[in-house]
Amino acid sequence: MGKKKDTFFNMVISLLVITVVSGFLLGYVNDLTMAPKAKARLQKKVNALKIVLPKFDNNPVENVKRVKSEKVKDSIEIYTAYANKNKVGIAVTGSSEKGFNGLVKLMIGFKPNGDIQDIQILDQKETPGLGTKMTKEKFLKQFRGKNPSTYKLKVKKDGGDIDALTGATISSRAFAESVQIAYDEFVKTIDSI
Amino acid sequence: MVSKINQKENFIKGIVKENPTFVLLLGMCPTLGVTTSAFNGFGMGVATLFVLVMSNIVVSLVKNQIPSKVRIPAFIIIIATFVTVVEMVLEAFVPFLYEQLGIFIPLIVVNCIILGRAEAFASKNDVFSSIIDAFGMGLGFVIALTILGATRELLGNGSVFDFKLTSENANTFIIFILPPGAFIALAYLTVIFNKLTSKITG
Amino acid sequence: MSNPPIIISASPHIHSEESLKKIMYDVVIALVPAFLVSLYVFGINAFIVAAVAVVSCLLFEYLIQKYLLKTNITIWDGSALITGILLAFNLPSGLPIWMVIVGSLFAIGVVKMSFGGLGFNIFNPALAARVFLLISFPVQMTMWPTAVVNNTQLIDGVTGATTLGIIKEGLMYGDTMTDLSSKIPSTLDMLLGITGGSIGEISALALLIGGAYLLYKRVISWYIPIIMLATITIMTGVFWLINPEQYANPLIQLLSGGAILGAFYMATDLVTSPITKKGMIVFAIGIGVITVVIRLFGAYPEGVSFAILIMNAFVPLINTYFKPRRFGSEIKSKIL
Repeated sequence: MGKKKDTFFNMVISLLVITVVSGFLLGYVNDLTMAPKAKARLQKKVNALKIVLPKFDNNPVENVKRVKSEKVKDSIEIYTAYANKNKVGIAVTGSSEKGFNGLVKLMIGFKPNGDIQDIQILDQKETPGLGTKMTKEKFLKQFRGKNPSTYKLKVKKDGGDIDALTGATISSRAFAESVQIAYDEFVKTIDSI
Repeated sequence: MVSKINQKENFIKGIVKENPTFVLLLGMCPTLGVTTSAFNGFGMGVATLFVLVMSNIVVSLVKNQIPSKVRIPAFIIIIATFVTVVEMVLEAFVPFLYEQLGIFIPLIVVNCIILGRAEAFASKNDVFSSIIDAFGMGLGFVIALTILGATRELLGNGSVFDFKLTSENANTFIIFILPPGAFIALAYLTVIFNKLTSKITG
Repeated sequence: MSNPPIIISASPHIHSEESLKKIMYDVVIALVPAFLVSLYVFGINAFIVAAVAVVSCLLFEYLIQKYLLKTNITIWDGSALITGILLAFNLPSGLPIWMVIVGSLFAIGVVKMSFGGLGFNIFNPALAARVFLLISFPVQMTMWPTAVVNNTQLIDGVTGATTLGIIKEGLMYGDTMTDLSSKIPSTLDMLLGITGGSIGEISALALLIGGAYLLYKRVISWYIPIIMLATITIMTGVFWLINPEQYANPLIQLLSGGAILGAFYMATDLVTSPITKKGMIVFAIGIGVITVVIRLFGAYPEGVSFAILIMNAFVPLINTYFKPRRFGSEIKSKIL
């Protein structure tokens, strides 16, 4: 077998064949992975919900409620969880643009009486070693079981109840603000759901 | 072209004498970008290994059908196809790794190791040798990235493969999981690797 | 291995051991006033950090030369001593001792010896080590013990932010300079050193006295420090005139942080600064501009160390473009 000559016809044909074959292959793989991809994306949300909410048996992702707020760029998402037809908890996303490097986005799970069940960090770009410590247990545990109607969601420096992260007051403030936004939305919607 | 290549040597060279990372210093973009943990390094290595093997097979199969003037675009399309396959499969089945590697998966296309092997080896040799070559080079890359990732994770996060070796509040060298640490770690690992291999190979 | 009769090396060309040593010890003398102020303000901790930094720098240089490189031991040329002192000057006095030792190892092992030792290092070892520590241990590296006059206690309990830190955080939170004026130290305190900060950077006056000594002894030329400080003054002055509520005035900018320490002792490092007058001017302006940009718009409150390191990287390029004039340079092109 000798090498194909560099004629215009040969070049066009060989590239055409390669691109067509590659196109069909990609289409085929795309079809194969379409369903698992969607499932994986859903699973990620469900996993976050499972952590922040009490045990539930419905699919909160199905009837998510999206609320527009001037405080938040994208809409606030509200997930309601039921167990045996009883409302057991509501998860609300809250975010703040006032983090040290911009967006801090959280998912906060509330019990129906307003107590914070748990918090998951969905997105943050804070300084490693300072602001990123908001993902650590030591910082998060001070929120659990607290009810924001009595627990002031502000860092102690600003007259609130939150122990700020060492050297990361700005990140802590953004975190507190996100929780506050979520709580405000929770109060607004708790009766309507 | 009948294979007269010593296949054992062909395989070993990618790991030791022509290690793509520590000796040839090729494919620096994923090497520096994703090795923040041992698992990420390993995952990127395996993804690259897959693309390398597949593209070497296809390139060596079609090498005589492609006019030499358009061989580079042809190789790139072949490589890009497999990279896209890897991307879709990772997103579907290993979403965690997909998120971690992010933009660096599509960038496998421009990893010079892959185009380099297609151009320098697969387009001149038979399929079997090309597969051996791809596995050698790919494994060399996997090993290098895993070592680099493990080193950075250990120094920067106090863990290896997410297995915590230090206490939760221990002070680790955060710089090593940030970009500057990648350069520092790579430089010293390259020194150590070459020192060790020069002792072995003489 | 026998030494070749003629040793050719990159700059600085060391003419004789004696003059190099003399320069080094002049620098040490110039640093004494600032060190005394920090002893007075931070107490024994400042001494401990400085002693550990100096001893470990000397020790690491000795160990690396003796066992890794197997070359002549040059720890008494004064360069490792100065690296140790300058490193300590750039650290907060409450830093854990092991971090000081790690910083020394980085300064000597990575920044100096890996590039070939004195005369070959691209970056200022003390500053590079400071940045390494700052990024690795941001919490400990930004815990500034508050200044207590005549501090004799071993442990300082209270920590506070630096002047620049207070300004940065306050402005990000929405305060104006008028709101912040009560929180930051007075100009006189900043001049004398009654303020939070790294061991060696607090007293502008003491640093200026040392700087004047270096200028008098002609260890450094005035180009780098004066032009760098002038650039900072002019740039921050323009911003301050545009909006005095959002930008601190040039006096605060000059007296706070590491501006003066950096200008006289770090940027003027013979190995990592340009060799010609024009080169020095470009170098100094670059440092000033980058410092101001980081301070006013960056994430970190202070940018002097980053600015000097960035410009260090440009020194080979600057040296290429601003070569000293050679005799017969008119016919250079013909020869080539």
